[in-house]
Amino acid sequence: MKQMDNMAREIIFYNRKRLYLFFSLLLFFLIAAGGINMTTGSMNISLPDFFNIIFKHFTGTTEGFIVWKIRIPRALASILGGAYLAVAGLLLQVFFRNPIVGPFILGISSGATLMVSLVMLTALGLGMPGLNPFLITLAAFIGAGGAMLIIMSIASKVKSGVTLLIAGLMIGYLCHAVTSVIIAFAEAENVKGFTLWQLGSFSGFKGSELNIMIFAGGILLILAFGLSKPLNAFLLGEEYASSMGVNIKLFRILILLCSCGLAGLVTSFAGPVAFIGLAVPHITRLIFSTSDNRILIPGAVLLGGGITCFCDLIARSLFAPVELPISAITSFFGAPIVIILLLKRSNSL
Amino acid sequence: MKNTCPVLDIQNLSVGYKKIPVLNSVNLSFQKGNFVSLLGPNGAGKTTLLKTMAGLLAPVSGTVMVNGKNIADYKRTELAGIIAVVLTEKVSPGIFSVFEFVAQGRYPHTDFFGRLQKKDLNVVNSALKMVNATDLADRQLSSLSDGERQKAYLARALAQEPEVIILDEPTMHLDLKHRMDVMSILRRMCQKKGIMIIASLHDVDIASKISDCVALVKNGAVTGWGSPEKMLSGNSVADLYDFDDADFNPALGSIEIRGNGQRGKVFVAAGMGTGAVLYRLLAKKGFRIATGVLHTNDLDCYVAGSLGAECVVQAPMEPVSEDLFNMAAALVRQADFIIDTGFLAGDLNQRNIELVKYALAQNKKVITMRRQSNGFFEGFNCEWLIKCFDETEVLEKMELLF
Repeated sequence: MKQMDNMAREIIFYNRKRLYLFFSLLLFFLIAAGGINMTTGSMNISLPDFFNIIFKHFTGTTEGFIVWKIRIPRALASILGGAYLAVAGLLLQVFFRNPIVGPFILGISSGATLMVSLVMLTALGLGMPGLNPFLITLAAFIGAGGAMLIIMSIASKVKSGVTLLIAGLMIGYLCHAVTSVIIAFAEAENVKGFTLWQLGSFSGFKGSELNIMIFAGGILLILAFGLSKPLNAFLLGEEYASSMGVNIKLFRILILLCSCGLAGLVTSFAGPVAFIGLAVPHITRLIFSTSDNRILIPGAVLLGGGITCFCDLIARSLFAPVELPISAITSFFGAPIVIILLLKRSNSL
Repeated sequence: MKNTCPVLDIQNLSVGYKKIPVLNSVNLSFQKGNFVSLLGPNGAGKTTLLKTMAGLLAPVSGTVMVNGKNIADYKRTELAGIIAVVLTEKVSPGIFSVFEFVAQGRYPHTDFFGRLQKKDLNVVNSALKMVNATDLADRQLSSLSDGERQKAYLARALAQEPEVIILDEPTMHLDLKHRMDVMSILRRMCQKKGIMIIASLHDVDIASKISDCVALVKNGAVTGWGSPEKMLSGNSVADLYDFDDADFNPALGSIEIRGNGQRGKVFVAAGMGTGAVLYRLLAKKGFRIATGVLHTNDLDCYVAGSLGAECVVQAPMEPVSEDLFNMAAALVRQADFIIDTGFLAGDLNQRNIELVKYALAQNKKVITMRRQSNGFFEGFNCEWLIKCFDETEVLEKMELLF
């Protein structure tokens, strides 16, 4: 008995050491990605200059302006966007108990796109100069939530993961179809802005937008982390979770709120970003080799932020000065992962 | 029973999905520390009843009382400290070690983030020990065999420290060894920890030997409720499962499967259990069986009766009477084969030896499994006397001669 007790504690201790190591590595990766993103570009800024600008709050010079008004918001937005999408994807994967879902795959991003197009391109958004970011966020959230509700009702009827996947794709197509009809009737000037938005980019974040990202997203992120205990129980299945004391109805609502809120938030500002929500949770699981969401949620935040920031860097520097859509880069690394998962058909969450 | 109220009390309960009842007006009362089995054919509504009792399904009508309080009035975490479940669906939580999986059972007892304290570790360890799965603790749940998985499931339920564990077909998909393991673990939980076990089972024979109480579920109702000794008489089990050609024998605790009896008629002279295996073999191969003269307290008599053989029986402790001998002799005359199982002949059944001799005198084909038969059949026409060692050889010889 004593021996077994020691053994259990040893395992936990060993795991804890590993845990700290991996978290440090991920944090380093995130900081590195952010740092490179902030210092490189059309104007390279050396590290000492960069630190000078940061710590002495230089805003008067060109470099200072670029760092404070362009680079930092952009890097922060990409980090937050990636983190939020990764966590949204993780929540969805646990909720549907299906490894091949994510906000983009399930048509949740498309639902958000549809609602945003309604606001940006039709009379709904008229008379609002400069388009209130709150309104777009709200529209994206409603669109994401609507798509998610449809998916949830389908998921309650079908058990097969692939069927769910196809249903998500079809919802995506439907949303695209409606969006394209709206585009056809829209004013050419508005369409350009919308098309640019739709390509997805973390550029041009304003301070107010960033504030919404940080605060609304932060609250949702904390809420998601608070859900990690019932999320773990939910891995055993809905009935087991319920039998262990999870209030399933409340849990469903909170998951819906968190995942749609996070995905909608990112989509409303940066446009639909593909595959981060799907691939990052998987890579996190592989790195930590656990399905424990108490570890995965912070892990996915760091890794999602780092990878997306890195993808953003590639998107704007690969063919500079031409900037590629962020989804083009994320798809390049995310799509193969989906194919591998489908081929393996492993149900490992 | 002490004067405490029942752990689970079901009053006029109807269970089902989407307001369509599967089982109606169920009234059951479960006492602490009992082992209760639910028996009945597939689709009878056992699973639905179990899930309703566990609070996973809302009743269509009626109430489930847990420790005197309506189950619907419990908070989920509160209920989780009283009732744990083991369901049939395979659990695939992903990358989870058995230890971590079992520790999930601590859910209702841990803090907001599910951190394990020393007490939790101890409970998990002793749960693993109770199901003999200490050595599995570090293995991945996904790497376990079905039998090992079931143990992990049991340990998880145990780690929840409930008063009641509700199990839906805990022995499904398991081989015989693990089936017995699981049942003895459940029995131990029940006896040592005083946990009430409610399980739906398909093995009537095991259920009858292990349960304190059985509930028979059929045609949308609970048709029987009581101790297995009372409830599982031969007919009730046959009725429960609509056996056409099988019979449950409560004394033996086994199910005997009747043959179609379309092949020849065989008379078996047996006694003291020497015929049981042979009867089953003959029934399986489709022979009609007649046997005698058996004492009613003989194992052979139970088996032959369950198999639907024509039996000539004698009250116990009495020598075979003349009348019965003549009845048996009539059966011998009708039979195509006479088999002598090599039973031990004493004062009471001496006449069964004479039956075999009678058969020889009638020029019947007689097969004997007697090792030293020379003395017995001296002076008889032994042309048709065939000697065999065991039951399979008997059958081979019969197939040859047919």
